[in-house]
Amino acid sequence: MNKKKIYPQWFLIAPLALYIIFFLLPSFMGVGYSFTDWNSRSVLKGTHFVGLQNYIEIFTSEKNYLDGIGHTLMFTIVSNIVKIIPALMIAIILQEGLRGQGFYRTVMYLPSILPFVIIGLIFKSILNYNNGLLNMIFEMLHMDFLKQKWLSDLNVVWKSIIGVDAWRGIGYVMTIFLAGLNTIPKSYYEAAQIDGANFWQRLRYVTLPMLTGSIMINLVFGITYGLKVFDIVYVLTNGGPGHATEVMTTYAFQLYSKGQYGMSTALNSILLLITAVVGVFIVRTLGKQEVQQ
Amino acid sequence: MKRRALSMMLAAAMVASMTAGMAMTVSAEENTDFAGEELSILVSAGWMDNRYDATIERFEETYDVTVDLQTIPADQYSDLLQSKLATDSCADVFWIQSNPFAIESVIVDPEKYCLDFTGAEWESVMPEARLASCKYNDKLYGLQLWHNSPEYVMVYNKTLFEENGWEVPSTYEELKALCAEIYDTGITPWFMPGADGWQHQLTFFQIGGCYEEAQPGLYEALNNNTATFADNEKMLEVLNEFKEFSDAGYFGEDWIGTDSTNMINEFGDRTCAMAVANSSFIKQIKEETGTEDEFGLFLEPFGENTWFPTNPAGPTMFGYNGTEHPELVKEFFSFVTSTESLQEILDNSPSYTNLDVNDDAVEQHWLPEEEEFMASIPADKMTVSVLQTGTKYTNDYWMNFGQDMVSFCLGEMEANDVLKNMDTNRAEAAKTAGNEAWN
Repeated sequence: MNKKKIYPQWFLIAPLALYIIFFLLPSFMGVGYSFTDWNSRSVLKGTHFVGLQNYIEIFTSEKNYLDGIGHTLMFTIVSNIVKIIPALMIAIILQEGLRGQGFYRTVMYLPSILPFVIIGLIFKSILNYNNGLLNMIFEMLHMDFLKQKWLSDLNVVWKSIIGVDAWRGIGYVMTIFLAGLNTIPKSYYEAAQIDGANFWQRLRYVTLPMLTGSIMINLVFGITYGLKVFDIVYVLTNGGPGHATEVMTTYAFQLYSKGQYGMSTALNSILLLITAVVGVFIVRTLGKQEVQQ
Repeated sequence: MKRRALSMMLAAAMVASMTAGMAMTVSAEENTDFAGEELSILVSAGWMDNRYDATIERFEETYDVTVDLQTIPADQYSDLLQSKLATDSCADVFWIQSNPFAIESVIVDPEKYCLDFTGAEWESVMPEARLASCKYNDKLYGLQLWHNSPEYVMVYNKTLFEENGWEVPSTYEELKALCAEIYDTGITPWFMPGADGWQHQLTFFQIGGCYEEAQPGLYEALNNNTATFADNEKMLEVLNEFKEFSDAGYFGEDWIGTDSTNMINEFGDRTCAMAVANSSFIKQIKEETGTEDEFGLFLEPFGENTWFPTNPAGPTMFGYNGTEHPELVKEFFSFVTSTESLQEILDNSPSYTNLDVNDDAVEQHWLPEEEEFMASIPADKMTVSVLQTGTKYTNDYWMNFGQDMVSFCLGEMEANDVLKNMDTNRAEAAKTAGNEAWN
């Protein structure tokens, strides 16, 4: 039986060892440290086991870490909806033989290769209330009612962040969908058309079922990205105005930078747990659907 | 004979070559060869600006080295520095906003992270008052080259005030009435760059003297953990006054989203009338905008304050102990403290009018407005330092307090919660530092 395999199993040893040493082990160590008072003074005074104290602090503190958790979950859900649905539509349009589709694909994908710092600088400038490009355009068009304090109004700031994030991420999601669409045999669509299926019926009964794999990849990537979101928030608002856009990672970063490493790892452990549970749930659910189809 | 002459010549050659070797050794000791090395500097925006450019360039030429200047946005600097220190990946030279408590609370373990400069000649360049921010356990770690101008007081457009018949306010009610009048003309009464993340809280902390006056012994009690920020009536009063101004629009239409990039032009264009700034800011406005307007200074009247913001502290540079170029770092510190460099730093700084150093050869450029303002303050009103450097662990949570102030102004927090958070943060810092007063 083993002889039929192309590669021997010992090929696994090196990557598995690297994965365990550089990923699993630090993760478990992090979880372990979350039960200690590890801080910047530990060098001098040692690290001590404190049980669940850090977790209790997170859930009872006046610092609203729970808001950070809530914001993270909200961002994860909304940003995925905002990215996946339009990306799917665009991918389908670009797959339908649109003229200049290669150009559009490139243009759509380009933002996702830009560094977050550059995106932050550009959009902070564009979204500036007093002299930002966006508000100036509204002024020029005599549409002052559309002017907003994009990054300092509590009712608008999350929409701005999610909007910028979508601008950056849609091209990437679209590319994965395009790869999935390419694998669907044209004969399926031809058969559906012969049966009289319209666009929406073809989408519902051919495209979406055949794209389950791509959807699953985008969901897993999107959800894990959303749960550990940091860069886009950090460069655009740094958690502000006030604490309105704090997420788990910005709080964890603040704690870490203040030398409260134990608390920081506790917050990250919660994030790890949520990510693991959600990730496993999605893979299992969509995996089952794929098997059924 | 020939053999003798030959041996004499050989002996002479040997002596000559040995002497030459010795000379080379002595020369190498005196001028250590740093050619090709790189010195990295990690600094927050605003602490070096362009004032060090010429000096750094000269340093590079003198030692044939390159300097990698890493300037980080102010609102991100503190977190980044702490991460770099914690992960042993810091630049060769790093800066902190130092005060007499900062080395212990910000750097935490100076022996581990900082080069010990004890005995360095440049120690005598710094005035005694500044040394407290640079030393820990009698060891010299930091170098503080900062100005001694009135720091973060109210700067106002004197010409604009005179033209409109506006009087300089000395009480909160006078300030409020004045701002209402200015606001009605379409001019922003008080430019507040909230998006910088570090400026707006100055209005609260620079008037430390009025808190101490309202509750004598407050600083000592805060340092001994026998008093709290929370429930302090004077502090609550100031926070509420700040919010009142925010709500009324006296700080501008979007002060939370506005940074200080355009502040100079706002003054030059007369679109704002006042701001909390350094006195030397006047020089910048005049030089950069070419305005003919005159400017003046007055004390911030929030909390009925009458105290001068005394603050013998400031951005301070340290050598990183983990550096691969400790000798080059030491050379750099010596280099920037030479009279030539000090003069260069002062002359190349748009925001300095003086340098607080013990070097009479440095030519200072005090502004008449500064001298006039300083002369108008009674000496006894200069005896209390600002709140952030007079009390332990306070300055470490500068940015957090600023965020809380914004949350308060947006209606997301209560004033007393802002103060409570400072107490909580200070307690955490004290606990981390093992301060027994908090046990």
